[in-house]
Amino acid sequence: MLKIENLTATVGEAEEAKQIINGLTLEVPAGEVHAIMGPNGAGKSTLSYVLTGRSGYEVTGGSATLNGDDILEMDPEERAAKGMFLSFQYPVEIPGVPVMTFVRTAMNSQRKLRGEDEISAPDFIKKSREIAKQLKLDAEMLKRPVNVGFSGGEKKRLEIYQMMMLEPRFLILDETDSGLDIDALKTVAEGVNAMRSPERGMLVITHYQRLLDYIKPDKVHVLAAGRIVKTGGPDLAHRLEAEGYDGVLGEAV
Amino acid sequence: MTTALRDLIANPNAAELELIARYGMLPEDARRERAFEAFAKGGLPHRRVEGWHWTDFKAALPVIETPAETGVAADPLPTEGALVFSFTPTGFTWPEDLPEGIRVLAKPEAQAFGASEDMPLGALAAALAGGKTKPGTLMIEVTGQDLPRLHFRFSGDGEANFARVQIILRPGAKLAISESYLGGAGFTASLMEYSLQAGAEFSRTVYQRAGKAEVLAATAAVQLDEGADYRQTTLAFGSKLSRLETRVTHQETGAKATLNAAYLCAAGHHADITTEVRHGAPACVTRQLTKGAVLDGGRGVYQGKFFVPRNVGQKTDADMQHNALLLEEGAEVFAKPELEIYADDVECAHGNTSGALDANQMFYMRQRGIAEEEARALLTEAFIAEALEETGELEDVLREQARAWLAR
Amino acid sequence: MDCCGGTDEHEDDCTEVTVKEGIDAKTVEAAKALESENYSAGFSTEIETEYSPKGLSEDTIRFISAKKEEPEWLLEWRLAAYRRWLTMEEPTWAKVRYDPIDYQEYYYYAAPKSGAKYESIDDVPKEILETYEKLGIPLREAEVLLGVEGAAETAATAREAPRVAVDAVFDSVSVATTFRKELEKAGVIFMSISEAVREYPELVKKYLGTVVPQSDNYFATLNSAVFSDGTFVYVPKGVRCPMELSTYFRMNAENTGQFERTLIVCDEGAYVSYLEGCTAPMRDENQLHAAVVELVALDDAEIKYSTVQNWWPGDEDGKGGIYNFVTKRGDCRGPRSKISWTQVETGSAVTWKYPSCILRGDDSVGEFYSIAVTNGRQQADTGTKMIHLGKRTKSRIISKGISAGKSDNTYRGLVSINKRAEKARNFTQCDSLLIGGRCGAHTVPYVENRRADAQLEHEATTTKLSEDQLFYARQRGLGEEQAVALLVNGFVREVLQELPMEFAVEAQKLLEVSLEGSVG
Ligand SMILES: Nc1ncnc2c1ncn2[C@@H]1O[C@H](COP(=O)(O)OP(=O)(O)O)[C@@H](O)[C@H]1O
Ligand SMILES: [Mg+2]
Repeated sequence: MLKIENLTATVGEAEEAKQIINGLTLEVPAGEVHAIMGPNGAGKSTLSYVLTGRSGYEVTGGSATLNGDDILEMDPEERAAKGMFLSFQYPVEIPGVPVMTFVRTAMNSQRKLRGEDEISAPDFIKKSREIAKQLKLDAEMLKRPVNVGFSGGEKKRLEIYQMMMLEPRFLILDETDSGLDIDALKTVAEGVNAMRSPERGMLVITHYQRLLDYIKPDKVHVLAAGRIVKTGGPDLAHRLEAEGYDGVLGEAV
Repeated sequence: MTTALRDLIANPNAAELELIARYGMLPEDARRERAFEAFAKGGLPHRRVEGWHWTDFKAALPVIETPAETGVAADPLPTEGALVFSFTPTGFTWPEDLPEGIRVLAKPEAQAFGASEDMPLGALAAALAGGKTKPGTLMIEVTGQDLPRLHFRFSGDGEANFARVQIILRPGAKLAISESYLGGAGFTASLMEYSLQAGAEFSRTVYQRAGKAEVLAATAAVQLDEGADYRQTTLAFGSKLSRLETRVTHQETGAKATLNAAYLCAAGHHADITTEVRHGAPACVTRQLTKGAVLDGGRGVYQGKFFVPRNVGQKTDADMQHNALLLEEGAEVFAKPELEIYADDVECAHGNTSGALDANQMFYMRQRGIAEEEARALLTEAFIAEALEETGELEDVLREQARAWLAR
Repeated sequence: MDCCGGTDEHEDDCTEVTVKEGIDAKTVEAAKALESENYSAGFSTEIETEYSPKGLSEDTIRFISAKKEEPEWLLEWRLAAYRRWLTMEEPTWAKVRYDPIDYQEYYYYAAPKSGAKYESIDDVPKEILETYEKLGIPLREAEVLLGVEGAAETAATAREAPRVAVDAVFDSVSVATTFRKELEKAGVIFMSISEAVREYPELVKKYLGTVVPQSDNYFATLNSAVFSDGTFVYVPKGVRCPMELSTYFRMNAENTGQFERTLIVCDEGAYVSYLEGCTAPMRDENQLHAAVVELVALDDAEIKYSTVQNWWPGDEDGKGGIYNFVTKRGDCRGPRSKISWTQVETGSAVTWKYPSCILRGDDSVGEFYSIAVTNGRQQADTGTKMIHLGKRTKSRIISKGISAGKSDNTYRGLVSINKRAEKARNFTQCDSLLIGGRCGAHTVPYVENRRADAQLEHEATTTKLSEDQLFYARQRGLGEEQAVALLVNGFVREVLQELPMEFAVEAQKLLEVSLEGSVG
């Protein structure tokens, strides 16, 4: 599904460019959920931006493919239409654009790029209602501008709402658990688990074991200084929780 | 014309000579004379005069003539159920039947204009409004509350169109008005004076659209008594040179003013939104939001000023924001958000941004699969629409006009 | 300053403060020696002075030029400026009011009698040296060294304590430049501009008037005609100036206009940090100060220019005091060059001053950090201009205005993005603080954008000192003035941090002194 090989990338404009991703290799087969853990500043968010095509992040070597397609050359919206979805660590506020308008525009744009028909208004509303209910999102909230005036937790739930609406094929969750109380965390995890399927892959970036109690990963990777330094089963997350990065990484080096 | 009149303006250009001639043809009137003198002191304002640096009337108006390519823009503001007052270069029409609560007087003579020195083009409108077919001052007194909207239209082919309107809202009165400036005349100058007595509520919507040949100066002077509530929304597309100037004076406690505007300028179009708010009484509130989007060859100008005098201006609460998008290279946006404050117990702030759309917002939208062009259009429309939110019943009309322009 | 708590994690801070206090102590002593006034620099020195004929004419200019043994081209340059000046009008757009200036009532040249030039520092009259000592400016190299050694001892780390080379301008004439030899070794030229005209005529000729042209504005043109002295700095290619350079300007003689002219050129890849301090004695008559400062930064060069301006502001009724009409402009001529202005303005009766940057080189950077304090009847109209011409040029403006008493304080600034300035950036923050209900605080920014890919942001606020914060501080036992000083310090912190540390503490003291009597 997602295959990253020896990827290197820099952040920042020409002169101030800093290499943040340093030869990162990772493969997430369809149907699996992989977790990425790592200390602050390790390059986790950078990886998610590189994979989704944010400007200012330049790939200087290596490759990344989704189902065999090279995604690194594509525009962000093309990648989205291919099924890449990023749940942002810091969701962006968009004044003046209501959530419903936003998501419908996105859904239809993606369909258009894929050569599919637009969704009908009643179908869209029906689907939105169901998902909002599942995520315990107030219908009024969906009429408000995207993320404007939302609490941290509401923003994260709105990310999951968009994910469930758009039904992407590959999901990247960047610290979706941070800022959530325990009930919200469960709701979000339920949403994510509902998305699990044999055709779908997921990369769950987190700091805490807690989220992984609800979203059980197939594999856990430790990302440090821009590369994967250790890979293991779900128990690796427990060890990280108990011993800290220093403890676990100490032995790796 | 007499030489004495001719000497009024130093180094007059052909347009100024024409204005002098027009003044000479009007019947003698001491108030008119004072207004014209106030204009003549500096003539057509130009770039060397503070406040006119970016909007130079002397340069834009060498002569006063009917534009070669004539044409009046369509008026999108609905007139059904509204009372329409129409000023053209040669005439004036107004509704015959007026509901109770509104009294209209078409006075042949000019009324005194207090702040004429600060508003030279307002003074000019006061001096030149009137003649055989038009009122020198159109006076409207409002006592009612449930009244139809008054709509003022300034349009029609010709050389020049001058108009002056005074509206006084008696205590507790409520009124909504709209003004459409649709071009056609080479030079249009209007002076609108609105006086809101205690507790009055007034909503003003201004729509301006014209071609690349017209020059416009629409000046409004607003006075607010205790607890009055004034709301204004402007949508301007500019013209060869368009200045929409509003001066608000809070003269009694607890008045509130909302002054929003959006300007959208295509090639050859210049829109100037200028406001000055004087907090001449304690605890008055002003909220101001101006948004602009400009294309290659267009120019947007925003000048905002809060003036808070000593002592009487205490507890002022005023906020001014101006945000502009330059949609293409070749666009220009000039801004001067100004604070002049002599009272210490105040909360005053202003913010100004200009440039391209927010890169984070663009990426967020594209990550969700929205194509670049569409993301840009959505963001731009939302950006402009924010300034139209306080319009009231005409919001959708203005929004639609903005949307159509952005979709061009 | 109470940051020296002695805890380990603050070790760095502590050494800094110790060094600063070493210098600060002198200023404070100087202030204490003159307990009677708020204005610690308001004493005049009894020395014999030689004046030019009073008033302004071509003869005055010839007199000045001859006194300075100037070459013909410079005399012609001055005369051309004078003729131009005669055709100009005094600007009126600034928000300042003052009685009309009679330009014939001033002396345009005043020099200590014993002559403009001193062979060595020992020849400088004792009175002048004492004056500088009172100001807390160590002039003698020996003293400076001693001071540094003392400071170095107390510094826990082996970090080199900063040394400052000083050029002192007394009325119209530069009296001494310290550390000259060491600077020469590095290839840095640091001397009075009159000397530079004689010793490096080609360099001066090449750059003089290229940033602020003769005809720039009324006061700059006047300066071009009559400039008396000032400082010249040239830092050659790739050289990082080994110490901070500093000039102290002092007006002493009565009815003297001071028209110094400073020219700083940083060649490719060079760096210099320059400090400027100004004082003047108390007088009944307003004195005129119309300086010009030109900075040139070539490719990859960086100039940091810091000013603490403490000219005599006049008495409580606004009588006397300096008219400070200054033109300061930096030209980021080469790519990746950087010019940074930092100013603490507490003095002068009237200030009219806009240190600016012309961002000509691609990727060049301009900065303006300002604290302007007005009290009594002071009027300040100050700000900056950032002219973006080159690609990817960046500018940053942080302005903090504090008005007290019956004063008026205006920020006036221009950010102009030229059509070719691809991806230019500006951030501006302008905050004003009002202390008391009889002063004024004004913000007049002009923002001209001609690029769609530019990103310009401007924020401004005007508020008074928070009653809650004041009460909180006083509840904890601070006196009212102390509490105000503390809050004001917080308000201006961002700018103080930009000052070289020799200046930071001095600046802080000045703020306190300037605001004395502003509350209650
Ligand atoms: N736009 C940027 N410019 C320069 N450095 C950046 C930028 N974005 C991130 N970095 C740096 O890249 C490193 C990795 O950041 P990030 O990927 O956000 O880490 P995390 O693993 O905590 O998500 C950090 O050192 C960060 O400071
Ligand atoms: Mg991160």
